[in-house]
Amino acid sequence: MDPKLHQEMLKAISDKLTGVMQMYLDTCSRCGICASACHVYASVPEFENTPVYRAESIRKIYKKYFKLQGKLLPMIGEAVDIDDNTADMLKKTAYSCTGCRRCMVYCPFGIDTQQIMSIAKLLLIKAESEPEILSMLADVSISKGDSLDSVKENFLKGLKKIEADVVEKWKLEAGKVAIPTEVENADILYVALAGAHSIVPAAAIFNAAGENWTLSFFEAVNFGAFVGDPSKTKLILDRIINEAIRLKVKEVCICECGTAYRVMAQLSGDKPFKVSSITQVHARYIREGRIKLKPLPADVSVTYHDPCQIARNGGVIDEPRYIIGQIAKDYREMSPDPKTNWCCGGGGGLVALGDETIDFRMKSSKVKADQVKKSRAKILITACENCHTQLDNLNEHYKLGVEVKFLSSMVADALIK
Amino acid sequence: MSDSIKEDKTIDLKGLPCPMPVVKVNKGIKQVDVGQVLKAIASDPGALTDFPAWAKTSGNEILKTDQEGDDIIFYIKRLK
Repeated sequence: MDPKLHQEMLKAISDKLTGVMQMYLDTCSRCGICASACHVYASVPEFENTPVYRAESIRKIYKKYFKLQGKLLPMIGEAVDIDDNTADMLKKTAYSCTGCRRCMVYCPFGIDTQQIMSIAKLLLIKAESEPEILSMLADVSISKGDSLDSVKENFLKGLKKIEADVVEKWKLEAGKVAIPTEVENADILYVALAGAHSIVPAAAIFNAAGENWTLSFFEAVNFGAFVGDPSKTKLILDRIINEAIRLKVKEVCICECGTAYRVMAQLSGDKPFKVSSITQVHARYIREGRIKLKPLPADVSVTYHDPCQIARNGGVIDEPRYIIGQIAKDYREMSPDPKTNWCCGGGGGLVALGDETIDFRMKSSKVKADQVKKSRAKILITACENCHTQLDNLNEHYKLGVEVKFLSSMVADALIK
Repeated sequence: MSDSIKEDKTIDLKGLPCPMPVVKVNKGIKQVDVGQVLKAIASDPGALTDFPAWAKTSGNEILKTDQEGDDIIFYIKRLK
């Protein structure tokens, strides 16, 4: 192996060795509880699909280079070298973990395998073996931040095409703008995805609530986080933060995108604005009487899939249930405790990898498909783009016979005029 | 075909959710030779900002963007 790359990879590990990370790497007692907590193992029960196996791929390298026993007696501690096979091995472990953190809930020591896998992803980047698509998508996002003026022109052209769709959902008073942009001192900066479905329902709801809002020029999703590149993650995040500061907004509302919400809410440090998920904002509008919703017919049964990054990792659990309670009379939980709801199986960048991962995604998420089937609900609601795509794929693959819908679309369609 | 631009391959990206149009166009451009033109038909307005940014980072050139009804049509020349 190229000695320079070897050194770079060791430094990358060293830089990630915080006290917490060392605790994760030193503490595992091999109890195996994490195995059945992982949707991949629960669906395909092979040892390679356990969180502990994934964590061991890094732990063995850590032992070799950062623990005395591994340095002196590598055979005893199963310590392994970084060599030309390392990247191939880490690809399998890093990209079979969706980062859902269900294993962490069950682990007696609270070991965060997703954090350990962040080392694996970083090593893959150093070895230029990360999924090319994810790096490409991150670079596209960063490029948009570099040339804001040309982005604005095309973005505004795009908005013109969907303004009528917004007005169709909620008619505006004369003179009001359907999708406002560049509004200084707005109460909310809404950060959507690069898609009409992420803008139209949200805009109609903001307008119905009489919100003083403005739409961000940037998409919320952070592909830097998916690929595990901290510098790209920050560049993508900073575009939005700088826009929010420039416009002096009070609150940044993140669309239905789990990773975008977690990155903005938890990884962006101190900010001069509040961060909310769109689900929290919609629940607030209902509580404050700013919007009113028409319930579905009583015989329409619905269930809700908790996006891991918004629910288990973001704490937004009660709000979607409160909203659904206003819309549906027949609501069916998939899990007795939403904190342990199964992952959809599409997180961690797997959905964005598209056809490359479809076979793995379908096989590894059988437990989710079974959970949906058992609910016997007609409509499967979620609040995350990745989850929605994956659930659509599962619906087709396992013939679940449900209609997969975004929660924000359900709210927009139920607005009482 | 559009005016004088002749496409060598066409891909239909209509109805695809984010970020699949960019993922597919990135794959599609590799299916034409350097110097050839890929015609990509998208329906989502997000493509209007995503595709130029993708062309810039991938080193390809958008020769023309047409809009026909809900369709947004890109003619992209593979440069490398």
